[in-house]
Amino acid sequence: MILGDLLGLPVLDSDGGRLGKAADIRFVLDGAPHQLMSDARMLGIVVSPHSAASFLGYERTNLTQPWPLAHLLRWRHRGSFLVLWEDIALIRKDAVKLRPGFTRYSPALEDLGRGR
Amino acid sequence: MKRILGVALGILTAIGGFVDIGDLVTNAVVGSRFGLSLVWVVAVGVVGICLFANMSGRVAAASGRATFEVIRERLGPRAGLANLSASFLINLMTVTAEIGGVALALQLASSVHYLLWIPVAAVAVWLVIWRVKFSIMENVTGLLGLTLIVFAVALFLLKPDWGVLAGQALAPAVPAEETAPTYWYYAIALFGAAMTPYEVFFFSSGAVEEGWTVKDLVQSRINVLVGFPLGGLLSVAIAGCAAVVLLPAGISVTSLSQVILPVAEGAGKLGLAFVLVGVVAATFGAALETTLSSGYTLAQFFGWSWGKFRRPVQAARFHLSMIICLLVGIGVLATGVDPVLVTEYSVVFSAIALPLTYLPILIVSNDPQYMGKHVNGRAVNVLALAYLVVILVASVAAIPLMIVTGAGA
Repeated sequence: MILGDLLGLPVLDSDGGRLGKAADIRFVLDGAPHQLMSDARMLGIVVSPHSAASFLGYERTNLTQPWPLAHLLRWRHRGSFLVLWEDIALIRKDAVKLRPGFTRYSPALEDLGRGR
Repeated sequence: MKRILGVALGILTAIGGFVDIGDLVTNAVVGSRFGLSLVWVVAVGVVGICLFANMSGRVAAASGRATFEVIRERLGPRAGLANLSASFLINLMTVTAEIGGVALALQLASSVHYLLWIPVAAVAVWLVIWRVKFSIMENVTGLLGLTLIVFAVALFLLKPDWGVLAGQALAPAVPAEETAPTYWYYAIALFGAAMTPYEVFFFSSGAVEEGWTVKDLVQSRINVLVGFPLGGLLSVAIAGCAAVVLLPAGISVTSLSQVILPVAEGAGKLGLAFVLVGVVAATFGAALETTLSSGYTLAQFFGWSWGKFRRPVQAARFHLSMIICLLVGIGVLATGVDPVLVTEYSVVFSAIALPLTYLPILIVSNDPQYMGKHVNGRAVNVLALAYLVVILVASVAAIPLMIVTGAGA
């Protein structure tokens, strides 16, 4: 399975209820260090309840410019959240299933997402 | 003193570099059929390209990222690839039109058939891209392109009835023999000719090539805000010449020789010599810019190393992709398709594809993560959103209008 297969897959909770679609995959660079950068490690999936289309970066920040584009894009992705790799129970060809009691994290990046 | 010279040079280059085969053909066609009644579109287009170039130049200077690097980052792989495909194909169409334009202009100067000039033009473009320094390439073609001012000179020498021209320009109306859909179709074509996406790819990538920093923003702003409107005046002069000579004679422009006919009439042989140099320089300069733009877009999207500041061996895929683009352009032209027709379609498709590049730049130019304190101000954002609406409407309306009017026939 490659990353492209994962994007857009429905994300289900442990009872099979539909939570949304995998809109983005979040990585952190904290693996083995190399000359240019460290290996990437998959942190989790950004789940969007309404649309798997691109966020155009608005999920990472609390930016509200330019009006009304920013508001429109935020509205399309209202209720989206980040689930960590640890909370994913299994990834099938047609869906991603989460463990019971998974945590919904804000998809904003920590240093930029304050005040969200 | 050096600084003033630099500013002057930048402005002159922007004027000379503004006009390309799309502007030449579209303005002459429009002038010969609609008089100056579509001049307002040139004004709208010039303000638009100033705004767009200002934003993308600022993004490039503040973040060091050119347009397609930004698009790739923001749209993600799928939407980004769709965007690349559309933008790249339309750019390739423009490359083809520009090379055809160089060949047609050389035909007018030499009486040798343009199909024979096409390989010569393409090889010359490749040699310049391969060998010549970016700043020299920019300045030489830009300055030689300034000879197109002869269109304005010719317009004066033709001694037109200025009242009639001003009347057409200030109280635009659809001429009796044309229909409203045709009028609006050409409005979109003219808008696309003024706001061609490649200008922005080239502008922002050029900023990276020349190593701009935020310190250079003032100069870039002056270049754009003074140079492009003056270039727009050249466009108007082209349309004006056609409106004065060709419209009353009932000639609607279908070839490059008709575009420059009014100059020969107004300014004689000397004028003709100037206009031929100008057309060759303008189309050759634009052929360089569009060919480089095709390399820039591909390389920036796929993350290849790019740029003329690198030796070709260090940016092999960038250079190879441009060679392939030139070969494709030669191939298309070798079928005998009329370059003027290719041009007419390319400007309309440019208008159709414009939102694809405009929107990501608008969004990123608002993002302090990239821009620091150089984010869009409130006034720029208001104007930019108004233009977003204009660009979207033009883009959506273009295809239906193309079908209804039979591509403006």
